[in-house]
Amino acid sequence: MVPVDVIPSRLLCMSLAGAGVLSEPGHFSWLEKLLLLLLIVLSGTLFWKRFGVVVGKILGARRDAGFRLFPIGKRVWDFFWEVLCQAKVIRERPLPGLAHAFVFWSFLAFALVTLNHVAVGFGIGFLDAAGAFGRVYFWIAGLFALACAVSIAGLFVRRFVVRPVWLARPALPGHEVSYESGIIAGLIFVLMATYLAAFFVGEASMAARLLWWSHTLALLVFLPLVPHTKHLHLILSPVTIFLSRGGFSEIPALDGDEDFGLVTGKDLTQLVALQAFSCVECGRCTEHCPAANTGKSLNPKEIVLGVRSYLNEFGPTAEELLLGKYNAQESAFQCTTCGACEFQCPVGIEHLPIIVGLRRGAVNTGAWEDSHGTKLFLAMERNSNALGLSAMEREKFVQKAELPIFDGTQEYCLWLGCMGGYDPKGREIIRSFVEVMQYLGTSYGVMRKEKCTGDPARRLGNDLVFQELAESNLEAMQQQKVKKIISICPHCVRTIQEDWKAFGAPPEVEHHSEFLARHQARLPQQKTDEKIAYHDPCYLGRYRDVYDEPRAVISAAGTLVEAERNRERSFCCGAGGGLAFLGEETGQRVSHVRAQELVATGATTIGAACPFCNTMFRDALAATGEGAPQLLDIAQIAARSLPSAVTVARIQ
Amino acid sequence: MKIIVAIKQVPERDARIRIDAEGTWIDLQDVEFTLNESDAYALEEALQLKEEHGGEVVVLSAGPERVGKTIREALAKGADRAIHVESDDLAAYDALGVARLLAAAVKDEQADLILTGLQSDDLGLGQTGVILAELLGLPHASLILKIEAAEGGVKVLRELEDGWFQHVELPTPAVLTIQSGNSKLRYATLMGIKKAKTKEVRRVTPLELAAEPEASVVVLERVLLPNKQRTTQILGGSPAEAAAALVEKLRFEVRAL
Amino acid sequence: MSELTSGVLVFLEIKNREISRISWEAMAAAHTLAEGHGLSVDVALVSSPGNPIFETIHGKAPRTVYAIDHPLLHEYTADGFAAAYAQLIEQVNPSYVVFPHTYQVRDFAPCLATRFKQVLISDVTGIETHAGAETAPPTFIRQLLQGKLNAHYRHRGTGPCFLSIQAGAFRADAAEAGATTLATFEPRLDAAKIRTKPGEPFRASAQTVDLGSASILVSVGRGIKEEANLPIVQELATALGAELAASRPICDSGWLPMERQVGSSGQTVAPKVYLAIGISGAIQHLVGMKGSQCIVAINKDENAPIFEVADYGIVGDLFDVVPALTAAVLKAKG
Ligand SMILES: Cc1cc2nc3c(=O)[nH]c(=O)nc-3n(C[C@H](O)[C@H](O)[C@H](O)COP(=O)(O)OP(=O)(O)OC[C@H]3O[C@@H](n4cnc5c(N)ncnc54)[C@H](O)[C@@H]3O)c2cc1C
Ligand code: SF4
Ligand code: SF4
Repeated sequence: MVPVDVIPSRLLCMSLAGAGVLSEPGHFSWLEKLLLLLLIVLSGTLFWKRFGVVVGKILGARRDAGFRLFPIGKRVWDFFWEVLCQAKVIRERPLPGLAHAFVFWSFLAFALVTLNHVAVGFGIGFLDAAGAFGRVYFWIAGLFALACAVSIAGLFVRRFVVRPVWLARPALPGHEVSYESGIIAGLIFVLMATYLAAFFVGEASMAARLLWWSHTLALLVFLPLVPHTKHLHLILSPVTIFLSRGGFSEIPALDGDEDFGLVTGKDLTQLVALQAFSCVECGRCTEHCPAANTGKSLNPKEIVLGVRSYLNEFGPTAEELLLGKYNAQESAFQCTTCGACEFQCPVGIEHLPIIVGLRRGAVNTGAWEDSHGTKLFLAMERNSNALGLSAMEREKFVQKAELPIFDGTQEYCLWLGCMGGYDPKGREIIRSFVEVMQYLGTSYGVMRKEKCTGDPARRLGNDLVFQELAESNLEAMQQQKVKKIISICPHCVRTIQEDWKAFGAPPEVEHHSEFLARHQARLPQQKTDEKIAYHDPCYLGRYRDVYDEPRAVISAAGTLVEAERNRERSFCCGAGGGLAFLGEETGQRVSHVRAQELVATGATTIGAACPFCNTMFRDALAATGEGAPQLLDIAQIAARSLPSAVTVARIQ
Repeated sequence: MKIIVAIKQVPERDARIRIDAEGTWIDLQDVEFTLNESDAYALEEALQLKEEHGGEVVVLSAGPERVGKTIREALAKGADRAIHVESDDLAAYDALGVARLLAAAVKDEQADLILTGLQSDDLGLGQTGVILAELLGLPHASLILKIEAAEGGVKVLRELEDGWFQHVELPTPAVLTIQSGNSKLRYATLMGIKKAKTKEVRRVTPLELAAEPEASVVVLERVLLPNKQRTTQILGGSPAEAAAALVEKLRFEVRAL
Repeated sequence: MSELTSGVLVFLEIKNREISRISWEAMAAAHTLAEGHGLSVDVALVSSPGNPIFETIHGKAPRTVYAIDHPLLHEYTADGFAAAYAQLIEQVNPSYVVFPHTYQVRDFAPCLATRFKQVLISDVTGIETHAGAETAPPTFIRQLLQGKLNAHYRHRGTGPCFLSIQAGAFRADAAEAGATTLATFEPRLDAAKIRTKPGEPFRASAQTVDLGSASILVSVGRGIKEEANLPIVQELATALGAELAASRPICDSGWLPMERQVGSSGQTVAPKVYLAIGISGAIQHLVGMKGSQCIVAINKDENAPIFEVADYGIVGDLFDVVPALTAAVLKAKG
């Protein structure tokens, strides 16, 4: 960053003393006016030549069937918070974020200045530089200009000297750095410098005229560059943020009998097109992507830009397959749906509807041929669970663990899920959680029959299987009069609460961490100084905004330690998006990378809150050799504090 | 190539088994049904042949109305049309009776190949295809893993016992019964299901086929639950004793040695 | 029924130049049936009468052994066998026709039965004869729904009753020694009516690892500790005639190739016997081998989840148990 003391001290003194007044050229000749007009028309034409095309492509795309503008409150808030306050930009990358925010705020401040600037050229300037309002306003704008000039210089240095890898597009040769960004930065710098300099020249002097024209020319060059470069986000991203779907990772309902997801250009909707053109190529998404970070070909930024390139080349009505020239099927199926990308994106791009949309397009038409994927779908079709195991196995466990059957009289329906019902380790979590509920005297029962919530099918884009499972479960819940579901699995929770909605009204559902935190006070307190590292499951954190509850459970039992990436920035375990059921990963295993991060905290215990994270880490920790920390679910951590009678019962 | 695939709807593999009031079959209440496994492979073989050589795949199934769902799934996977022999009491027919119905339903189709699964997961008779061949006067081969088109007919790969195989050539039309496991099954897709809605399903009754049940020569009198349940037997003793006990089990109970 | 008292006709099969074990078992089943109903047992075999194999056939007298002999029967075809057998059945006119339930029988017997307007009762596991057998026909037991249900079948009406007997359902050694008469039966066969052209049997090349078709798998897990210890399981696999498989950590370490990994991200297998050695039974492993007919677990931790799915378990140190097992297998195989 440019140190503050570079700011010319003279300027400071002068403006503080009230001596600096913005100088404008005096009278403009008709020749100058004509030239100005011509230049404006030229600049505007060049601008529209590209911008008009972009708008045409966006509007030419299919309408978003489920889109509702109302309720508008959240949209207004998001606009205020993310656009006007630049909150996301700043929070996720504080220093460059702040620099960006200053550039943005200066642009806002300059709106009026620029309007007046051009008006002056036609002799109709409306701000009196010497008047009280003009004086104050120009000063304020001057301060912003200063901040902006410093910021843009800093950003320039970052991009061209520091060169963060995320800004690059390694897949495209020649795109190691974006030179157009350099030009834009230069122009912004010129704009600010010419503005500031005008404080130091004489009113109506030749110098003032020269500055005015330089500023104007910079402006008129800048304008057409905007739609031709990623700086299009200047115009589009506020719209994108305002018009976002709203929900996190919200997968839109299919629209009629001909909609199979994103198959060809015809399936791209206006929102997807708008988002594709809004991407500013900042790479925040890729920086946080577990797939991109472990050597897979998936790169969420390139997914978005792939859609943009598709639109540029083929347009929104093309029959060309989307998974083809610009986006690879293999990449689309490497996504764990962790949501880090969507969460990070400062311009409101919703990656998951796009990635899941591409998967839907491939799966719903049968184009995705993967032996593990097919096995998974067949298992879900036939056995109604992703593991392909017999429902009898679940029944046997229910009997052995003496879990009561839900009959409508109990408060909670305890949802076992595939891991709780079939996985030996998942069953241990269920047993622990049941002990806690018994201790608290909470009444619960399990469904006699339970089918997979459809999560893996949903995330992999198999709408047929997902719909069948969701509908059949919803029907069973209705018959049994289930009002409240509790589950140890964030994937089940999410799918029941959000994704089932497309087919009916799901019962209320909560994750066991929320239940445990709420009843924490009633459990025996047995805090030790054991160091416990907590791993935020994607589907509990980013998807459900539950960060503090599991931490409360852990803090009651030991000393909570945080992994380097935590909460909203938590790094995926690798299981989501149906990937736990597919074949071996290319590159490094995501689970091993994350497990190492957790081990690096020095904790003796790792606290998990998702049976999938649990199974991933169990395997990954075993590979780290002797002395690996123990792995427990928060239910197991909570159950440890119970009087031993209950625990003894468990061991038997 | 015109191929008929006879498919059967059977209770889901992990269906809960309770015996019905008459004691002659399982209680079908809350039982879910699915496509018989080896029939799924027969269908897959047929679809692959069609993809390679063109032609038509017609699925044929006998059973009550609920069979319609399985037929639709087959259409969704790519079959072109279907024949549903609708009957609520197929149990009144023995294997010969059912095969007579199927034969009557397809005799005018002039198909090049008729495929069936090797055997059904419920009754496990493993005969329908072979009887069908006899009734239609066609050559047949059973336990088929792969079908290739050949001069005047087909060349098929047949599984023999103990890891042996054999190629067999047959003139078409012919009947083949397909063994599970050789090809990769496809999953049903949304697009397939949507397309299936417009495909033709011809419904015929036994009466229309003029195949009233002749008195069955073989009758299923009653069914019983076996008293053996799968449990783990821990073989104790010294390593040598445990090993000897295990070998004994593998020889005489599992009959694998 | 009275004119149909000629008895039980059993068709035997040859395997590796001997009467196959399952044929003897079918004969034992035939005797059960014959005794309950006071019938005689005749046997038939496709072979030239000079074949010394006939000397190995003994049984309770009186007994006729038919040598079905025709050049067109040198290789098996459904058309040839069905025609030849049908002619013999017409000549002998038995009440019961019994087969071993082999792949070959499954191929032609249903068609043969159809020619007599009969239905083969296939894969029979038990026969119950009833008192007053003249009037009460026997009950045939077979399994339904993959063994989850037993069913009682009965034959009705006139004409021979066709049965095929499941391997191992009857004890072969129940057949006793006795005198036999050898009769040659030469069927009339027409080459033009044999429509299928069989090729030479062959074995699948053992080049590629194919866990899917192995009938016994010896699978090894992290309990083996070091690559250098692998030979002890390899020896067991060799003794059993089994393929070697593994859990993921073994393949991750490169001790065995990826194609041998069983589990959710590897192969799904369903052999007749699956031996899990030093494998804990993580869910990703279980889903790949759960369908095995018989699961054997060897693990030193009695609480290992693998025991939950095992049919037989040995709790112990694999370094003691596996060599002992190899020795026991070799001993049993002579
Ligand atoms: C997405 C994903 C996919 C996976 N896919 C697969 C897969 O396809 N296949 C697979 O196998 N795994 C898979 N895994 C890994 C799986 O979770 C387990 O980590 C793995 O199966 C454990 O292998 P193991 O049983 O050999 O090792 P461990 O779990 O370490 O078990 C070793 C066992 O050996 C026993 N033992 C140790 N010493 C002795 C001795 N001297 N004598 C007798 N017993 C002894 C121990 O008691 C223990 O039970 C996958 C994991 C994930 C997360
Ligand atoms: S959801 Fe996660 S894995 Fe998928 S692209 Fe985004 S960051 Fe990568
Ligand atoms: S998609 Fe969003 S986060 Fe990713 S590069 Fe584009 S603007 Fe940045």
